[in-house]
Amino acid sequence: MVQNGFARVVVKKLVFGVLVGIVLVVVAKLTHFPPVFQVMFFIYAMLGAFVFILLDAPSMKRLEGSKAVVGLILFYVIISGVYIAGATWLPQYDPEVEKGKIEKLLKARRARTKQGKVEELLARAKALDEKAQAIAKQLAALGGGAKVVAKVKVETEASSPTSSATSGDLVALGREQWELQECYNCHKLFGQGGKKRGPALDNIGNLMTPEQIRQKILNPKSWMAEGFEKAYKKGKMPNKYKDLMFPEEIDALVAFLSTLKDTSVNTPRPIKMQ
Amino acid sequence: MGLLVLGSIGAVYAQVPEPPPSEFPYTGNRTGVWIVAQLHILFAAFILGAPIFAVVSEWLGYRNRDPKYDRLAKEVTKVTVILYSMTALTGGLFIFVLLATYPDFTTWLIKHFFLVFALIYPVLFIAETIVLYTYFYTWDSLKGEKKARHIALGVLLNLIGTLTLFVIDGPTAFMNTPAKSAEGISLVEFIQSAGLWDKMANYSWMPLNLHRLVGNVTFGGFIAGLIAAYMYMGAKSDEERSYYDWMGFVGNLIGVGALLLLPFMGYLLAYELCDYDASICPYMMADQLSMFFEMQGAMVGLIFLASNYYIWLSMKRIEGVERVRISGLVVVAVIGMPAIMGFTWKVFPPPEWQSLIVLALLVILPPVLSKLPGLRNFTVSSFTMIKVGFFMIVVANAIWMTPHGFVATQALATEELELPSWASELALMPAKNAAAFTLVFLTVVNYILYNRAIRRGTIIWGKIDFASQFVLVFLAFSAIWTMGLMGAVRSLTRKYYHVYNLLPDFTAESYTPTLAYSAWWITGLTLIFYIVVSFAILITLRASEAKSPVAPGAPVPAGAE
Repeated sequence: MVQNGFARVVVKKLVFGVLVGIVLVVVAKLTHFPPVFQVMFFIYAMLGAFVFILLDAPSMKRLEGSKAVVGLILFYVIISGVYIAGATWLPQYDPEVEKGKIEKLLKARRARTKQGKVEELLARAKALDEKAQAIAKQLAALGGGAKVVAKVKVETEASSPTSSATSGDLVALGREQWELQECYNCHKLFGQGGKKRGPALDNIGNLMTPEQIRQKILNPKSWMAEGFEKAYKKGKMPNKYKDLMFPEEIDALVAFLSTLKDTSVNTPRPIKMQ
Repeated sequence: MGLLVLGSIGAVYAQVPEPPPSEFPYTGNRTGVWIVAQLHILFAAFILGAPIFAVVSEWLGYRNRDPKYDRLAKEVTKVTVILYSMTALTGGLFIFVLLATYPDFTTWLIKHFFLVFALIYPVLFIAETIVLYTYFYTWDSLKGEKKARHIALGVLLNLIGTLTLFVIDGPTAFMNTPAKSAEGISLVEFIQSAGLWDKMANYSWMPLNLHRLVGNVTFGGFIAGLIAAYMYMGAKSDEERSYYDWMGFVGNLIGVGALLLLPFMGYLLAYELCDYDASICPYMMADQLSMFFEMQGAMVGLIFLASNYYIWLSMKRIEGVERVRISGLVVVAVIGMPAIMGFTWKVFPPPEWQSLIVLALLVILPPVLSKLPGLRNFTVSSFTMIKVGFFMIVVANAIWMTPHGFVATQALATEELELPSWASELALMPAKNAAAFTLVFLTVVNYILYNRAIRRGTIIWGKIDFASQFVLVFLAFSAIWTMGLMGAVRSLTRKYYHVYNLLPDFTAESYTPTLAYSAWWITGLTLIFYIVVSFAILITLRASEAKSPVAPGAPVPAGAE
């Protein structure tokens, strides 16, 4: 009897939950929420229905002995599964993207450490050895027994990102720095990133000279964007790039920012502060 | 002679080839260190949180002359003593694994905090061990007139425990927020010349201390609830069930009481992290870690739902609960709270005084206005209030969990995945703060109702709906899972650094793992911790089950001593 009563409650609340969910989806659609948010609202409605079903659920019978143990184990399996599934269902950041960034960022830094220098020398010695062996093999195959001193050109990797950069690709390297230093998290550019934490920079090349841009990066308190007084006062732009970036990386970033001259985007006027 | 010996040892080491690099099997080094560190933190959190719980309980028993509290305190301490060795074991393992897998960094850190690692921390740990064992083994000898001395011992234990936590938090917080360099000096130069205190008292040190302290009390309360649930399920008599039902209630009460402060402690920590370096904020909330926070929102919501559901189940068995009513103005305030506070905090961000005035009015006005003649009869039943409360908990959860975009990083956001611009406020901090405050406020209202119900009605301990025991288990499991998640987040905010902005991690594993990958490990760690704790409960309490429980099995007025 109680069971039947509860079954009716479950059906009633589920139907009500679905109806509320449909209303929410329709309203969300009319107010331009994307489909993923419409699904989210429907899930909230069903969560509400589930909560109200629980509130009216009849008392649970006591579990004893092995039944209690099995009940507990099952319960753990269910909540573990739900948590893993929930976390897996959410959008995932692709680690490969970050790995690529980290590789670029840390390569130059590692090369400048003592260990990095040793590793570089070892790699060069190994490459030389392999070349010499290959030449010796070739000579042996040709039947030559003469001692030949081979001039081996070993291509070594650049120890810094700009050591091989021409002025043309300095801008490209600067754009790479924009990505690597994650400037996009605060500044909007080309319509992407930002969220009002910092000014959009599409027209900064028309408003600041390269030297002024460099000043701002090295000392964020030196300039303030008009309309960003609060952010300036709070020191929202981190004063760390002078420590974290190599001079050639800053050169590249400055070169890139100096090319941004899109007058159609409203980049706030910079004000000299220090 | 000594120099000769040292010289010959040096020569011997020079001839011996370098040991092979250590590689943690299957998981790799970074995950390996994470597993060991997280397990250590879970055990450490318990042995720091449980004694706070125990001494408060012991003091309540002493003050109210209620032996139930004393028994509760002793049982929790018994489990703590067993788990203390696990804390030491995992702590030692943590250092071994760190030294083997990240030798350069570990040595660097130890050298910077040499006094802490070589002297202060070991001395505190030894002192804590001595006081903990003394506290436990003098339980029966220091009773009666000597009880106050025993409680003082418990207070001393907690003081040492808290100090230990604060001391070890120094290097931990330093890894996230190393001291800021003085004007004109690079961070590297500054750290080389900085004193120990400069490094300890960094930006996130005190917020981390407070966050962990409150978190540990929450944890202790929920684990006490877990112990009670296990023991209730295995109880053979009504007396035992009665006692463990009551113990579950107390554990949940203390766990939830501390939980109410936890979101604000979390905000404080996040605030200081962002104040140290504003780029940490978007990294956490809008970049690689944004979905970790989405998951955190879901977990906090579930914990609040479950703790309020436990109150609901507890109230259902109180005879006379239907007579308890509350002003309808409270219902109105609760329904309006997310919108009113969201708007207020947008216009006057905290700590601006105007926002505090509105908040105070919203909380104080309903009970004050309900005394007015015309509004005195505008009341609703406790069950109606709680049902409205549950509805608003779902609404507050929905607000808390609404992200700016369903993307792992905002750089990938497109119109199809973002909130429409008119609703973007839903994803900002004022809305999140309002949602968090609504959850906290509702839980307080529910406890007020519960308190009224047990004062006016009759409670029968031991007769609670059996489902409540699963709720207690769920709360402990979810609290541990959330701790694991947020522990991962705190570590991951360092990005590819061992010490943020100072010491890069050059290994191939220094990237942010996916949330899905992290969830598997967090669940695994929670289960391992659960298995050990369950074992500790079984061998300490089930094996030596009390022979003469004190609690009454028959109905008694809820307020009776």
